[in-house]
Amino acid sequence: MSLPRFDYFEPKTIDEACSLLSNLKDEAKVIAGGTDLLVSMRKREISPKYIINIKKIPKLNYVRYNKEGLEIGAGATLSNIENSGIVKEKFPLVAQAVHETGPPPIRNIATMGGNLCNAMPSADTAPSLIGLGAKVKIQGPKGIRSIPVAEFFVDSGKSALQSGEMLTEIQIPNLSANTAGVFLKIPERSVIDVAVASVAAVVTLDAAHSNIVEAKIVLGAVAPTPIRAPQAEDIIKGKTINEEIIEKAALAAAREAKPRTRPDYKRELVRVLTNRAIRQAIDLFLPDALGGG
Amino acid sequence: MKWKIELTVNGEPYELAVEPWRTLLEVIREDIELTGAKEACSTGECGNCMVILDGKPVNSCLVLAVDANGKEVLTIEGLAEGGNLHPVQKAFVEHGAIQCGFCTPGMILAAKSLLDKNPKPTETEVKEAIYGNLCRCTGYVKIIEAILAASQSMAGGK
Repeated sequence: MSLPRFDYFEPKTIDEACSLLSNLKDEAKVIAGGTDLLVSMRKREISPKYIINIKKIPKLNYVRYNKEGLEIGAGATLSNIENSGIVKEKFPLVAQAVHETGPPPIRNIATMGGNLCNAMPSADTAPSLIGLGAKVKIQGPKGIRSIPVAEFFVDSGKSALQSGEMLTEIQIPNLSANTAGVFLKIPERSVIDVAVASVAAVVTLDAAHSNIVEAKIVLGAVAPTPIRAPQAEDIIKGKTINEEIIEKAALAAAREAKPRTRPDYKRELVRVLTNRAIRQAIDLFLPDALGGG
Repeated sequence: MKWKIELTVNGEPYELAVEPWRTLLEVIREDIELTGAKEACSTGECGNCMVILDGKPVNSCLVLAVDANGKEVLTIEGLAEGGNLHPVQKAFVEHGAIQCGFCTPGMILAAKSLLDKNPKPTETEVKEAIYGNLCRCTGYVKIIEAILAASQSMAGGK
């Protein structure tokens, strides 16, 4: 099935891209990997008159590390991110989340920037990025701004990008000491599928690895946007690790989920995934402390 | 309005003028007339359109031809050398990993790509490598066997 017709641009700089987006407004769409955009176009869900390819902007395909943390360019493919030595070593949760986003041929062309800009409630990179306090850098006619990924998702399919703006970079701060995270997703069938429910759990333990000092629990695909589960977080924060409070937190997370479809099933998935994700995150510090899950 | 693009396909250079809405898959099948890559799902889920683009397996139905300008493409037709089947192709034939054959070009390219990077994959790694290739006939058992067998023969029969 062929794509609808469009005019096509290959800007060579971010400024050029933003200028095109400002002038062409709602009739233009950015293409990065194209794995969401072209599918929507093929299904005739959208028919943009203009497509702006940002992959031809030199030097947007980077994964950089400095003392603040990780900087991922808008053009970096999921494969580039997943296979980056620094990501595997210092941000394994990011590598894990990226791995779950789709099968290998999709990961070879899709981008993290695109996954965020498409703003699906089920965006697989989002829960982990929110749990890690990541931000996105946005450039537009009014200049450059950075906002937390949590604020970048405004509604189902709607990001915080204003007219003329594009996402240029994702910034992930260094993890504090004794911090680890796990991302779990239940797809319809396999990794080629969208998440039915997903959970990222990022926990910080004390130096003795017996108490949970800080916890971020982020739920995907069970609300119009990815959401934190603050009540679940409060249940385990400041507590000694034990199975009872983990299960209490999991139940709380299930109540905090706001699924609009299949609510009972999705809430149960959230309960199970939250329990597993917290246990597995703790297991990363203390293998077999809780007998897996 | 057409864009001029240059592609190398199976080692041969091509110069083409294409409209921006045409995909790499369409151009390979219709302009270059290599029909090994197939269109099935059109949404990047089945892998029947798989080609190797600059060394990486991709769903060519989701690549705009203009985006492939200046890149190298390997299709299933480019795998055999001088009439000799690639070890992966041989293994698929020998292990009965081909039924209707529709998924086969994509499967073989995914397998070749895996073995180029990871010459001794585990069964789990083989399954992960073909996650993006759906087969409606075989149930995957023979396909996985063939890929593991190919890895053995490519490693010198060890």
